[in-house]
Amino acid sequence: MINPVAEPVSLMHYLVVGAILFVCGVVCMTAKRNAIGVLMGIELVLNGANLNFVAFGSPYLQSGGAPSLGLDGHLMALFVIVLAAAEAAMALAIALSFYNAHATVDVDQANELKR
Amino acid sequence: MDLAQVLPLLLGLAWLTPLASFAAIVFFGPRMGHAGKGAGYVAIGAIAASAVLSILALIAWLIAHPLGGGHDAAHPVAAIAGEWYPLAVAGELKIAIGYYIDGLTVAMFAMVTVVALCIHVYSLGYMHEELHEVTDPLVTLANGQTLKRRGRFHRFFQYLSLFCFSMLGLVIAGNVAMVFVFWELVGICSYLLIGFYIERKSASNAANKAFIVNRVGDFGMIVGLMALWSGLGTFSFDEIFQQVRPAGHGPAAHGHALTVPDGMVRFAAREEIAAIYQGTPDARQAEHAIREQLPGWRAEGLGYGLLVVAGLGIFCGCVGKSAQFPLHVWLPDAMEGPTPVSALIHAATMVAAGVYLVGRFYPVFTPEVLLVIAVVGCITLFIAATIALTATDIKRVLAYSTVSQLGYMMLALGVGGWVAGLFHLFTHAFFKALLFLCSGSVIHATGTNEMPRMGGLLRKMPWTAGTMLVGCLAIAGAGIPLVIGLSGYYSKDGILAQLYSFAGQNPSYAWLFYVAAGGAALTAFYMFRLWFMTFLGSPRDEHVYAHAHESPRVMVVPLVILAVFAVIAGWNVPGTELGLQPLLEQARPLGTAEGASQGLFLPTLTLPAEHLSHAHEIHVPVTLLAFSVAVAGFLLAAVIYWWRLLDADVISRMFWPVHDFLRNKWWFDELYQFLFVRPVLAGARLAAGIDRVVIDGLAHALAGAVRLFSRFDDWIDRLFVDGAVNATANVTYEAGLRLREIQTGAIRQYVMWVAAGTVGLFVLAMFLWSYTLAGP
Amino acid sequence: MGIVFHTVLFYLLAILACGFAVAVVLSNNIVRMAFYLVACLGAVAGLFFLAGADFVGALQLMIYVGGTLVLLIFGVMLTARGPLANIQTSRAQWAMVGLIGASLLAVLLYAATTAGKWTHSGQIVADRSHVSKPTATPIGLALLGVRADRLNAERTDAALGKGMAGYLLPFEIVSVHLVVVLIGAAYLARARRRATTPPMAATSGDSNNLDPGD
Repeated sequence: MINPVAEPVSLMHYLVVGAILFVCGVVCMTAKRNAIGVLMGIELVLNGANLNFVAFGSPYLQSGGAPSLGLDGHLMALFVIVLAAAEAAMALAIALSFYNAHATVDVDQANELKR
Repeated sequence: MDLAQVLPLLLGLAWLTPLASFAAIVFFGPRMGHAGKGAGYVAIGAIAASAVLSILALIAWLIAHPLGGGHDAAHPVAAIAGEWYPLAVAGELKIAIGYYIDGLTVAMFAMVTVVALCIHVYSLGYMHEELHEVTDPLVTLANGQTLKRRGRFHRFFQYLSLFCFSMLGLVIAGNVAMVFVFWELVGICSYLLIGFYIERKSASNAANKAFIVNRVGDFGMIVGLMALWSGLGTFSFDEIFQQVRPAGHGPAAHGHALTVPDGMVRFAAREEIAAIYQGTPDARQAEHAIREQLPGWRAEGLGYGLLVVAGLGIFCGCVGKSAQFPLHVWLPDAMEGPTPVSALIHAATMVAAGVYLVGRFYPVFTPEVLLVIAVVGCITLFIAATIALTATDIKRVLAYSTVSQLGYMMLALGVGGWVAGLFHLFTHAFFKALLFLCSGSVIHATGTNEMPRMGGLLRKMPWTAGTMLVGCLAIAGAGIPLVIGLSGYYSKDGILAQLYSFAGQNPSYAWLFYVAAGGAALTAFYMFRLWFMTFLGSPRDEHVYAHAHESPRVMVVPLVILAVFAVIAGWNVPGTELGLQPLLEQARPLGTAEGASQGLFLPTLTLPAEHLSHAHEIHVPVTLLAFSVAVAGFLLAAVIYWWRLLDADVISRMFWPVHDFLRNKWWFDELYQFLFVRPVLAGARLAAGIDRVVIDGLAHALAGAVRLFSRFDDWIDRLFVDGAVNATANVTYEAGLRLREIQTGAIRQYVMWVAAGTVGLFVLAMFLWSYTLAGP
Repeated sequence: MGIVFHTVLFYLLAILACGFAVAVVLSNNIVRMAFYLVACLGAVAGLFFLAGADFVGALQLMIYVGGTLVLLIFGVMLTARGPLANIQTSRAQWAMVGLIGASLLAVLLYAATTAGKWTHSGQIVADRSHVSKPTATPIGLALLGVRADRLNAERTDAALGKGMAGYLLPFEIVSVHLVVVLIGAAYLARARRRATTPPMAATSGDSNNLDPGD
């Protein structure tokens, strides 16, 4: 039996966490009918992706000669965070607008264009 | 201002005013007052203006050319000829709107406009029924009811205006082409007015008959015009007369003898001319030689035949228009038109246009043509007078009387009595218009045309009866012999005197005189028969008699005016020579005063000069003879129809073959029916049959084939072409409908599909490119 | 083998992050969801620190936890009134979502666990003696277009010295983008008169269009 605590953390661990976060986000996006909930799912998805970027750019998780994204990973994560903030602001504005118009935030109600 | 400028202006205005009225009524007629009543006033105003202008022109003419210079043939009054507007010039052919004004033109203008004015006013009363909806009892519709139609008051006056314009244009025309145009225009007006009650079968038939019969005459007229033009190279009256009657030529004392024009001689001598051109190389020399030869050829009579053809052709047209012997059948039927129309067109003016044209073309006619004219006129007057003896329709009696009187005019012209013939034209216009209007008044009052249903109307309609009596006396030539008489007395005496003079010169043609004298007796007989049957005796039809009434004043006043003219038209202004006869004498064409020219084909024929007939030894016996035959006719009529000493039925039974013959109008209609109408109809039917069977069959077969083919083509189009397009559209539409199902609009579903798609892609990639994903 | 605290911390934070993420998914209360999300994102920030990305982690805390989530909670408060706060999803949908999520997770986990094969040795060695270096300065230089971290390495391209490999242009674009988005968001979310009285039955009748007043 390998003692998991004695082992150093590898890239795989981070990727697994990122995958779980990603899937949680996707499920959240798919299952929640509340627009805010959908938005939260998106944040989770973005965080999962961000975690992967950081992991790929981390100097601690790589062997000596292995290629690493290095600082590029950090920068990508940064851009993602910034864009996520912008996206959140935008999505919230849309949700508010939708709420103003329909008195609900149920995304299933947003199907007027279908008719 | 100069007369040559004033007269064209005055007469031109007088001519165009009715045209303006016509145009106004055409465009605004139905809106002129109630039911177009204003149209009548417009037309009357126009013709009144015309009449005033014409009378002004007459006065101007008389001031410029005072009458009473005697028979001054040496210094004739020149006609005023010119052009208003050159219509078209094609090579030598020149067609212009021109004028030719002499005493005849001016007098015709005055007469036509005055008579037309009276008839217009009369029509205002006569046609008042047309102001509201008309029930025509003579027309039965297919459903058994009588026809009801809208009134055509304005249309009547519209046609009248057009007719006045056409008639005046015919009179003033300065060239033959213009004459022909207006000739046809009066024809179409006549056609339109005869067929005014177009729903009546008889009316439309009569209109067609008049038009078609006139076409026969017009065909001859076109031949004559072509002969004239090819020989003379001009249409203008002025130039024609100058070529046919060159000054100072011929044996007659004052020149202007009938001369075959150069063009006709050249045409007849074309072979000789060709020979000269072949023999002489130089064209100018050849032309010179030809000119030297011309008098010789003329003396040989070359080209004379062409002149005869021209004259006969023109006379043909006049025969048609003036209802002369072979073509007289249309005029009695033309009585289907309204009575004012009969008075204006078919008695006073249009039918006289033929006589007028003969008078106008008088210088062109050779003695042979004149003889033909005389014979035709003589036959016509006799036939028509005999038919009039037995006719019972009051208007038909008058119609045959008209034909007969036109025959008199033609006869007079044919035997050299130019003034006599045209004088009779004028007097006849007045009293025949009067007679027709009186008959119209009677018809208006009684509602029937048949004289056997009238009788005793004198008490009911004194004015009509009185004026009609004046008309009858005028046409019979009543008067105190050698002292004074009604207008017909002078004109008929003139004709008979000329005939007597002619018979004296040509004993072989003396029968013309006897027929004419007998005709005078017939005239008196049938006119007084008409008057007695209508106005005297006891009423034969109580219903008609009870219904009868005197006509309104608007109809009586024209009667009185015309009656006055019928009395005085033959008189000169007392103490002067101011009168119709001297005016016509002054207007006599150049070279016709001395009528002694001898024809080439009939060298023995001699036309006596007209002034010879005024001699005492001719004038007195003829006057007495004419008076006595007229009295004889009157007495016979009185014996039979007034005093009833003899029974008309007994007489007619006694002479039943003659009576039947006359009753059936000499079987002319039946003869023409048999000779022309039936064969033409049979031919037409044959042609129609061929058309229907052969040509229509071919066309139908072709059409059927095309239809079959197009149906096949249509099938292909529908099945394949349309099918392909529709199938594409359907597939696209169906696919769109199916795909639409996927687009639910639910965002979460989309996300789910994206996730599922991602998984699917991963799975695929792992199976296919596992190494790529998982490294080497 | 001793306990590697780095590993222990990683597991701790990873479990926190994953657990709160699952809680976000499973919770029906939108306010609780927001709270779980804050916790989850904080744990992820901790993971960033563990991976040596100190600047990114700090920004995660500041922007996400401090900014975005405050925004989210404002959104929740502005929209979630009364019974609207939780809108139920049907069980069938949950099953479907679960199936998809599970399959996606399986795929991702497969990819993640085979990531070890990407290195040559297949062995990942954590350098225990490594001294943590702050990354704020090189990141700032990189955003200005100078790749200071790369200069230290053996590769010395001319392009690197000239700053052509930096992120100056994306940085500018992102900043402009942010401005645009904020203005747009302010415009979209501005208070309108008719917002106070939402139209009744403007949509079809079967929608559960509940009036905020009752």
